[in-house]
Amino acid sequence: MKRFAAVFWSLLFLSVPVLGVATFIVGPAYDIWLPRDVSEHGAAVDGLFYFILALTGVVFIATEMVLFWFIWKYDESKSNGPGRYVHGSHTLEVVWTIIPAAVLLFLAIYQMNTWADVKMRRPNMTPTVEVVGRQFEWRLRYPGRDGMLGTPDDLHLVNDLHLPIDEDILIQLKSMDVLHSFFLPNVRIKQDAVPGMKIPVWFKAREEGVFDIVCAELCGWGHYKMKGRVTFEPREAFERWLERKYAEQEATQPRDSEMAMASGVVSHPTQIAKNQP
Amino acid sequence: MKMLVRTLDMEYETVSAFAAQAGFKTPSGDLIRRDTRGHLSSGLFPVWVLGGVAVVLLLLTTTGCGKTAAASYRLNMVESAKQRLKPEQEQQVATILAALFGTPDEPIAPSECGLDAAKLHLAAGPVRSDIVGRKNGLYREHCAHCHGVTGDGMGPTAAFLNPYPRDYRPGVFKFKSTERADKPTHADLVMVLRNGLAGSSMPSFALLSDAKIDALSEYVKYLSIRGEVELALMRAFFELDDEDQGRLPEDREFLIEEIVLPVAEAWQAAEDALIDVPEMAADIDMAASIAKGKELFYGNKANCVKCHGVTGLGDGQVNDYDDWNKVVLQAHKTVQGGLEQAGEASTWDMDADEADEHRAELAWLDRFQKVLDGNALPPRTIRPRNLRQGIYRGGMRPLDLYYRIHAGINGAPMPAAKGTVPPEDIWHIVNYIRSLPYDFNGTLGVDKPMVARDRL
Repeated sequence: MKRFAAVFWSLLFLSVPVLGVATFIVGPAYDIWLPRDVSEHGAAVDGLFYFILALTGVVFIATEMVLFWFIWKYDESKSNGPGRYVHGSHTLEVVWTIIPAAVLLFLAIYQMNTWADVKMRRPNMTPTVEVVGRQFEWRLRYPGRDGMLGTPDDLHLVNDLHLPIDEDILIQLKSMDVLHSFFLPNVRIKQDAVPGMKIPVWFKAREEGVFDIVCAELCGWGHYKMKGRVTFEPREAFERWLERKYAEQEATQPRDSEMAMASGVVSHPTQIAKNQP
Repeated sequence: MKMLVRTLDMEYETVSAFAAQAGFKTPSGDLIRRDTRGHLSSGLFPVWVLGGVAVVLLLLTTTGCGKTAAASYRLNMVESAKQRLKPEQEQQVATILAALFGTPDEPIAPSECGLDAAKLHLAAGPVRSDIVGRKNGLYREHCAHCHGVTGDGMGPTAAFLNPYPRDYRPGVFKFKSTERADKPTHADLVMVLRNGLAGSSMPSFALLSDAKIDALSEYVKYLSIRGEVELALMRAFFELDDEDQGRLPEDREFLIEEIVLPVAEAWQAAEDALIDVPEMAADIDMAASIAKGKELFYGNKANCVKCHGVTGLGDGQVNDYDDWNKVVLQAHKTVQGGLEQAGEASTWDMDADEADEHRAELAWLDRFQKVLDGNALPPRTIRPRNLRQGIYRGGMRPLDLYYRIHAGINGAPMPAAKGTVPPEDIWHIVNYIRSLPYDFNGTLGVDKPMVARDRL
């Protein structure tokens, strides 16, 4: 009975590393792995992830194996007599502190460049779009023809973000009410939107496609469905889309919306910007 | 491992020894103790059997062991209390509605309503899938938590929102392209779903497919028609003669002809009754138009500043209510007034009939109060729009602003300018309003922020 208990528990503990490794191996076949990356800096970010995964994976398997072995071998049915009391080994403790510390130090320095690329080396440009997080949507504002945000020719949209590929993108991130987090999984970008702050976010997309915008900071009951859609397309298609959307926004006739959707031509530019001092 | 077991034994020894000295038992008592060989074991069962039992119980509590009840429509309790309906009359209304409109899981619509049954099927019921890749139960997935299963604007999250979610039952909708008293068109409902209402909690559902938005619009119409029929039925009790004995006629043809058809026809008529919007001249002098619009804004014809304030901040008048809140407010006033009046009377000098009436009145007031506490949201004032923000609920296109000014906002205190203000003048007001968010003493668009983190 005692032996059975030892076998049972040791196999139970063994199942942890076995299943853990198995899920990582089998997962990609079921499309459960990192989302498809279409960004420029994504490769560096993913590289860091894999490096840490390999390192921690090796340590994880090793320690779990040792745990299994101890439970399997040193059980009551086999023990003979009381154990020895040992004061521990000072050398061992020093070694297993120094080595992880060195590893962490290496990681900290190794990742600095990638972090700086994503969070510190901002491209010198005006924002492509302003994204304002709001419960529970992403409000977008494009600068319009004059290239400046906050003028009457801005394009206002919700949830449907379009961006050109192969160009530096600068997003100005704000929040209208509470903390949100602007997360583009396929571009390896995540930034908290803090109320009261204007936070720049930049990246460059390399491939076309339609992907998710997700909110990554719990912001209320609708957080789980605060999704948007980002479309990466060539610059010409992007500009045509902007024109079309602007024409819809400036519609003065019901048929304007349908016409604008068909031809992409602005029919009634309102010219408010030109007439202001 | 031997070393660790030994240490544990020593710890246990120490704890129990200490406890014995201190004069009380260890928490585990006799359940876990050492056996004759000095090893830890449990007294009654092996520890792992207990652990297994605990795991099984935990699983049972999380998964549960029964099905939840099917959703059902809630009766319009405020109207029922207002009309002083008796329980059997309420029951009759519920039965008639069930026969005409079905249940939330199985909606039916009389063919006279002109509703598409396939779209209703897509939108109604619990979230499930009949066909691979297609999800049903769209309304319950996306809308019910605010708008309620019955479309009464009293879903679980409604109480936290300002403004409250729309109650479809009176058949009144604010943002549309038809005249004030008319119903919205199908395209209007689709627009609200697609764009949301900026500045309110109604989100944009632009990411849903066209088919889904279509189905949801159809379902909203269905709930609205059902709600209007319910109100009409409840009000019809008042028209009954004594010989009807407090029961409505249940002949289906009669009900459809007299009650459902007028409602359905109003919805169908809206499709062709769009407001006729005159063209704004393409070569319009914008500066002059804005100046004219400002004159009209501050003038007596349009009288915008009365509510929107002299600075356009929406602070001219802040104590008004929209129609849905007015109903509840009025009901509260009725109950309060009634209680005051009834409280002044005393049964001491009444005869038997009067006393019975008095008691019945008190009972009704009490019932009404309970209904208002449990079946209505606390009334909230409606604020005129702050025009300096550039956020317009019904849409920011010049066309949308034209609609709002021309027809006013149905259900809200915003009046229709149709008739008082000629169409070209409405365009002038629209241009002035669109310039308001950018109307300040400064240089437009040039950003010279003082704080480093603001600089971009």
